[in-house]
Amino acid sequence: MKISKQARRDAKELFRSCTVNELLDENRVRQAVQQVIQRKPRGYVGILSHFQRLVKLDVARRTARVESAVALPELLQANVRANLNRLYGAGLNISFSERPSLIGGMRVQVGSDVYDGSVEARLAGLTEGL
Amino acid sequence: MSTLLQEIESQISGIKTAVGKQNVGVVREIGDGVAKIEGLTGAMLNEMLDFGHGVTGIALNLEETEVGAIILGEYTEIKEGQEVRTTGKLLQVPVGKGLLGRVVNSLGQPIDGKGPVKNETSYPVEKIAPGIIRRRSVSQPVQTGIMPIDAMIPIGRGQRELIIGDRSTGKTTICVDTMISNARLNKAAEAKGDKDYRPLYSIYVAVGQKQSNIARVISVLEQEGALPYTIVVVAAASDSATNQYLAPFAGAAMGEWFMDNGMDALIIYDDLSKHATAYRQVSLVLKRPSGREAYPGDVFYLHSRLLERAARLSEKYGNGSLTALPIIETQLGDVSAYIPTNVISITDGQIYLETDLFYQGIRPAISVGLSVSRVGSAAQVKAMKQVAGRVKLELAQFRELAAFAQFGSDLDAQTQAKLERGKRVVEIFKQPQYKPVLVEVQVVVLWAAQNGHFDNVPVDKVKDCQTKLTDYLLSRKPDLMAKIVKEKALNDALTAEVKAAVIEFKSSYR
Repeated sequence: MKISKQARRDAKELFRSCTVNELLDENRVRQAVQQVIQRKPRGYVGILSHFQRLVKLDVARRTARVESAVALPELLQANVRANLNRLYGAGLNISFSERPSLIGGMRVQVGSDVYDGSVEARLAGLTEGL
Repeated sequence: MSTLLQEIESQISGIKTAVGKQNVGVVREIGDGVAKIEGLTGAMLNEMLDFGHGVTGIALNLEETEVGAIILGEYTEIKEGQEVRTTGKLLQVPVGKGLLGRVVNSLGQPIDGKGPVKNETSYPVEKIAPGIIRRRSVSQPVQTGIMPIDAMIPIGRGQRELIIGDRSTGKTTICVDTMISNARLNKAAEAKGDKDYRPLYSIYVAVGQKQSNIARVISVLEQEGALPYTIVVVAAASDSATNQYLAPFAGAAMGEWFMDNGMDALIIYDDLSKHATAYRQVSLVLKRPSGREAYPGDVFYLHSRLLERAARLSEKYGNGSLTALPIIETQLGDVSAYIPTNVISITDGQIYLETDLFYQGIRPAISVGLSVSRVGSAAQVKAMKQVAGRVKLELAQFRELAAFAQFGSDLDAQTQAKLERGKRVVEIFKQPQYKPVLVEVQVVVLWAAQNGHFDNVPVDKVKDCQTKLTDYLLSRKPDLMAKIVKEKALNDALTAEVKAAVIEFKSSYR
């Protein structure tokens, strides 16, 4: 769907109004979406889809995905949490998950930053190098 | 013992393997050699991006939520959702003398089947041109071996001289002749062991040309022995617009290496009209706003930053130079179109080729009135300046008189003489392709023409007389030729010798 420039501008304005201290407020987002759907301004579908994209990117930026081959012990999880909060500040949603294909090590992704210390990545690097 | 083992164990546990931070993104859109990537928040402008499987791209558009990148090489294997990484590197091409005699693509990879390129260094493709402190004015000539150019529109080392004209008016031929001429001079100096001679290496960048044309140019260079002094950079019509856009910059990087290392190089961009078209395509696919003739707003900067890289460096910075000969193809002689006017204003002069002259048999079809060289005359050999100083004016007068003489038949003797002289000079300036003339021969021939030694030769015999005079000079008067090269100027004694030689030849000419 082609989203007009005006719709993009409106979506951005809406997004800005949903932030408190540069952090996205979930309640405001929900309210904003409800309001737009009720009032149906011109090009509101476009506004909402661009708004959704902006929210998605913001959520991705503030989400840390920690993947490991096996479940991490509590102590290590706390350690990782503390380090990530130190690097990226508070307000980070940290989720831990298991991915056996990593073989060993850990892969942390925050937004577009990736810290990959997994065996899988090293093997891939080795393959490329050869 | 146990304490030692504990110590080692604790040291091993203390070792941390460093994990580097990477910046990744995801392909959101791919098509026409251009990808839109979400993420990549840390990407820099013109940074190389790694798409995996050996495919790389360059970040050209940094937008609010995404990055627009052009893909180098095969883009059909890239899929939506694929991961892309930043590399922290700018696009580089191999440079150095190992590339001489080779045919490479716009990434510097060989495409001539002669094995890998031997190079030790790489240069970034995009580089800021040398600044005013590093430059000096043009003072050494580029001997094109083409008489009308060396006499009337001289080119200096470090100059940017535009070659402009309609299709098939001999634009590429002028450049090929120049490469051949310089290769011969290089070879002659090498054979003589002349340490003072500064060899001029050539780089021929073919942008958007037909493969058959490129193959022909390469075979001519090979036949004439010019390939060992030449690098050919090819982005043919079948290559992607991305490669066509990058090829001139890659060629310029190769030329800059010679310049930075105190050597002289000549770069030919064949041609910049097609380069602008390729850049327009890339820009439109990247959804950049379009301007006049749908070219993007920065098409002037595209060519100005490329041509500014041609320079003559001062002694302190190695005394090297990079001469640029960009080619522009006009449509029906329209020099006032967008791209031609841009490039005319950037360069230090232009050689304008006319279709009418070409079909009248005046080849090279250089239009004397419209062609200029703004800085080259400072670099012209003094002997040439002495004999050719008035030629341009006389030819212009001849053209005017010839047009005027069409209306009336009764002309005074002076006008008649001017017309006759003009006709002969036009004949002398005709030159077959791939046959460059040595500057010392040009000096003597022009001296003879200026001093009326061709006046009693019928116009249709002038060319024959000139050829025989050239043969005579090269075979019978090599000492005189060497003296002109050495002294670089015609003093009274030398002029007398030249006169004696020409008279001796004329007495035997039938």
